[in-house]
Amino acid sequence: MRAVLRKGWGPSVAVLALLALITLAGPWLAPYDPGAHDVDLGAVGPSAQHLLGTDNLGRDVLSRLLAGTRTALIGPVLIALGTTLLGTTLGLLAGYRRGWLDAVLMRLTDLMFALPGLLILIVVVGVAGGSYATAVLALIVLGAPADIRVIRSLALSQRELAYVDAARTLGLSGRRIMFRHLLPNLGPTVTANLLLSFVFALIALSGLSFLGIGLPAGTPDWGLMIAENRTILDLNPWAAVAPTLLITITAVAATILGDRVFERLSA
Amino acid sequence: MVFARVATRRLGAVVVLLLVLSVLTYGLLALAPGGPEQALLGERASTPETRAAIRLQYHLDEPFPVRYWYWLSGALGGDFGNSVYFRQPVLSVIGERLPVTTTLAGFAIVLTLAVGIPAGLAAGLRRGSAIDRGVTFGTLVSLAFPPFGIALILLYTFGVALRWLPIYGSDQVANYVLPAIALALGQAAVVVRQTRAAALDVGGQDYVTFARARGLSRLRVWGSYSLRNAALPVMTVAGLLAAANLTGAVFVEQAFSLPGLGSLLVQAVNQKDIPLVQALVLLGGAVVIAVNLLVDLLYMVIDPRVRHGAAA
Amino acid sequence: MTADLPAGLPADPSDELPPGVLLSVRGLGVGLGGRPIVDGVDLTVGAGETVGLVGESGSGKSLTARAVAGLLPPGLTATGSIRLAAPAGRPGPPVELAGAPERVLRKIRGRRIGLLMQDPFAMLNPLLTAGAHLAETLPRPARGEVTQRLAEVGITDPDVARRYPFQLSGGMRQRVAIAAALAGDPELLIADEPTTALDATIQHEIMQLLARIQAARGMAVLLITHDLRVAFELCDRVQVMYAGRVLETGSAKALATGPSHPYTLGLINALPAVERTAVRLEGIPGSVPRAADVAGQCAFAERCAQRRDDCLTARPPLRPAGAGRLTACLHEVVPRPVASAPEGPAAAAREPSAQPLLLVEGLRKQYGTAVALAGVDLRIEPGERLGLVGESGSGKTTLARCLLGLTEPSGGRITFQPPGTPRHRVVQCVFQDPSTSLNPAMPVGATLAEASGRAAPGERRPPGELLELVGLPAAYATLRPHRLSGGEKQRVAIARALAVRPELLICDEPTASLDVSVQAHILELLRTVSAELGTALLFVTHDLAVVRQITDRIVVLLHGRVVESGPTAAVLDSPDHDYTRRLVASVPPAPALTGRDACTS
Repeated sequence: MRAVLRKGWGPSVAVLALLALITLAGPWLAPYDPGAHDVDLGAVGPSAQHLLGTDNLGRDVLSRLLAGTRTALIGPVLIALGTTLLGTTLGLLAGYRRGWLDAVLMRLTDLMFALPGLLILIVVVGVAGGSYATAVLALIVLGAPADIRVIRSLALSQRELAYVDAARTLGLSGRRIMFRHLLPNLGPTVTANLLLSFVFALIALSGLSFLGIGLPAGTPDWGLMIAENRTILDLNPWAAVAPTLLITITAVAATILGDRVFERLSA
Repeated sequence: MVFARVATRRLGAVVVLLLVLSVLTYGLLALAPGGPEQALLGERASTPETRAAIRLQYHLDEPFPVRYWYWLSGALGGDFGNSVYFRQPVLSVIGERLPVTTTLAGFAIVLTLAVGIPAGLAAGLRRGSAIDRGVTFGTLVSLAFPPFGIALILLYTFGVALRWLPIYGSDQVANYVLPAIALALGQAAVVVRQTRAAALDVGGQDYVTFARARGLSRLRVWGSYSLRNAALPVMTVAGLLAAANLTGAVFVEQAFSLPGLGSLLVQAVNQKDIPLVQALVLLGGAVVIAVNLLVDLLYMVIDPRVRHGAAA
Repeated sequence: MTADLPAGLPADPSDELPPGVLLSVRGLGVGLGGRPIVDGVDLTVGAGETVGLVGESGSGKSLTARAVAGLLPPGLTATGSIRLAAPAGRPGPPVELAGAPERVLRKIRGRRIGLLMQDPFAMLNPLLTAGAHLAETLPRPARGEVTQRLAEVGITDPDVARRYPFQLSGGMRQRVAIAAALAGDPELLIADEPTTALDATIQHEIMQLLARIQAARGMAVLLITHDLRVAFELCDRVQVMYAGRVLETGSAKALATGPSHPYTLGLINALPAVERTAVRLEGIPGSVPRAADVAGQCAFAERCAQRRDDCLTARPPLRPAGAGRLTACLHEVVPRPVASAPEGPAAAAREPSAQPLLLVEGLRKQYGTAVALAGVDLRIEPGERLGLVGESGSGKTTLARCLLGLTEPSGGRITFQPPGTPRHRVVQCVFQDPSTSLNPAMPVGATLAEASGRAAPGERRPPGELLELVGLPAAYATLRPHRLSGGEKQRVAIARALAVRPELLICDEPTASLDVSVQAHILELLRTVSAELGTALLFVTHDLAVVRQITDRIVVLLHGRVVESGPTAAVLDSPDHDYTRRLVASVPPAPALTGRDACTS
């Protein structure tokens, strides 16, 4: 733990740990019911009752922020795990085994890279009347090609190294070579991918809800809060600025952590 | 000649890609809730007559490949049908919004390159210096900034708190300053990282040392050795960013309420205006594919290895 | 040519250089953030003289060369004095290059000092044609001058000027690079391992070309090389570097016949000779220290058999040791006689048997239209040591990979005895590059345990025992590969291959990326384990001197075909095929120490 702090990971780890805690304990921490509104009160700035003020419908911004941690974090965590698992497995298989699987995967990823991904995400989730779950699934599918490509090209270059030839000469199984020999050497990249996917998913998911896609209106969600409250910047700027800052801080913390972990592991 | 063969192969791949994209796009209609008939009807009264007219107009009684063919041949001729919401031809709706998006995209890409390339070079040439560490950390942070977040903070700071720039509108240059900055910040970070990596890579190459060892002038070593070789990867990134901006900087347009293609798409999606969505997706895909092709061709001009088919 | 230069004597930087001296380096130091890498190097090059700077990896020879050209990698700084005589015909004080501004250096580079680097694949700008490289470097390119300059380096095809580097072979690229380096007609050419990346026959051609141009132009050459034989063959004077300093300098002939520093002697003893088989290959124990760790003592003391107490108390100065010779050893060097083995009893004993260990019949391999193997027949008897000799593109590595099952042959048959044993228990391999042949993520012990687990149930040995077999302490089992030196990694790789007790050990250029003193150890180890365990060897190499030391019989491969085979000594002493003759001729002669010939049978 001391090593972690010395390497300048401290703030990043602290931010992410705090957020994880809030995700679990959110409902007990919130001073108000995030859905409870008070139309007569309307949007007012920070006060002793409402630390971050209220929104147009008089809902407590702080309570909504705490409740919003769920959609903000759970989806991106699932997406990060999903894309990394999918990308690492398929990338390893394609890079080590080559053959038809590799050919098919490469054509598929070529196709996905040539298409406007964000557009497709918006359209698929939007038109299909998509839910949060559709958005999570769509983001896993959209995010995997980049991971597949990165892992595959690393697996390809590792495969040319003599230690893989030596393992094959010993008659070891393909699965053992892929997961016991190649994978540990790709560790830094896999970890970095995981955190990068998290950031990508966090921004994309909250972006979708900012556009009003994926989550029903009124859900306490950071992206949705920005969209709903950007018209009351003059009355209570915190209603929109606070969720913006939270998304940004989370994303920056995860990015820095990814960068540091990659440098540390590959040293 | 090899050049022609390579170029032809690329063009062939482009046609295939466009066809795949068009099938996917057309398939969207089937995804729409209530089926294609309901989607195309929109807000209009649902009577047996109107439904029959829609079925006839869009060939909904024909099998899928035939329907697709009618749609595709229309689209190739510029006829994407009528927007369900605007009740006018899709292409003219898009035409009205296009200038906003191109202005923003042009503004942003100029800003991106003007900031990104010098910063990347400065960092790459002084590896490990305070400048390098500062720039690298800066890009790390900017990359993690959500574009709508930047937009909102800029809007609040310069539009609401300081009142330096207008918040709404799309007809003055001043309307585009904040959106272009919001768009360029994250993109410049990408360009900085790419330029820095390219400068580091090229700077460490033997051929640069060998050029200096032959007493070539600084200008020559820079122009014909470092920059030319470093330009290749930077070009690719710049092309992709330009393409992304042209298909509509959705978040930024939405955040600043700019009536460009991005906010048009969000509107069309929310209103389930399928013909409009189809046209936007197909055009967006075409732009991405065209820019990719352009970058590939530029590669061929600059790099003899690609031109002679020796490298992918 | 210029035999009696006062090399190594302290000089006042303001002095004129003695007549005939072109370059004078005094007290050169190169450091990385205060830590010295090159420490107090003196170097003198006379006009028209060829000087060899010889050393193993980590000796600081390349950095010395780079410092002279003013092209040290970023982060490294040079101290001391580097003086270049005033241009011929314009007498004046010498130019000080150390610490000179870029503006001064740029005028010197190319026009007075040229630099040729190691890797012809990386030295040329991939975006420029061969002709453009020359044209941009020529001070005033006249019509037809590019063609003329290319002709000087033996390129007569005018088409080459229009080609891009990727369209040229390695040898061609190095010729173009030489022409470009010489375009400004420098008085001194620094050639930093100019042929290391090339095939033996091409190496020989390029070296001959350099010698020819040097003679024709009367240009001085500073040749940086790890290969003592090359230095002795081409240079007037040779300077031996070790751990960032000079240990010995003198005429090539004097050094080759009677070195006056134990390190030089050790290097010469470690050299394999194509002309004879040594009874025992003598490496130098230990490894090269860092310059910073041996600043106040003899740098070689830790590894020296003649060490006395005074070697460790102070840094020995370079002292005169005969005409034009200097040594940094306080003591007289005692040469040890090295005996040659009587040739061939082992080879003679192994008549073709009915049951060869390995039988290869008509083996073919094609990649698209390119033919890598065009029908190769081969047999190896149990316990036999066979050399497979060829240059890049000969198909030797493809053949080895087919035998190992790493590459699927296009046709032909491979039969191992006894039939039915899994291939991995019959044949194992030691790969070329020790830096990649061990999994960096696995401790050495885990690598060995995994290999051992693939042996037949009764023959599994613990990692510690395997390490001891190859002369490493059992405690190495807990280390990860990055903690080991190149030679140690290769020992672990040998242990891994032997863990399954194979009948046949394929060695694919196992010493090609090792220093000569380490190479001797590895070759000796392979000879020992092969004899003790009765393991047959298939030794794949391009190095005829190495193959002479370790094999009974050789097979010469050219363009995927066997062009010659027979007992090693017989083939190398009197080659039949024209190609084999060229290969043998391209090996520089090994130095014959005085007193060594007497022991040769």
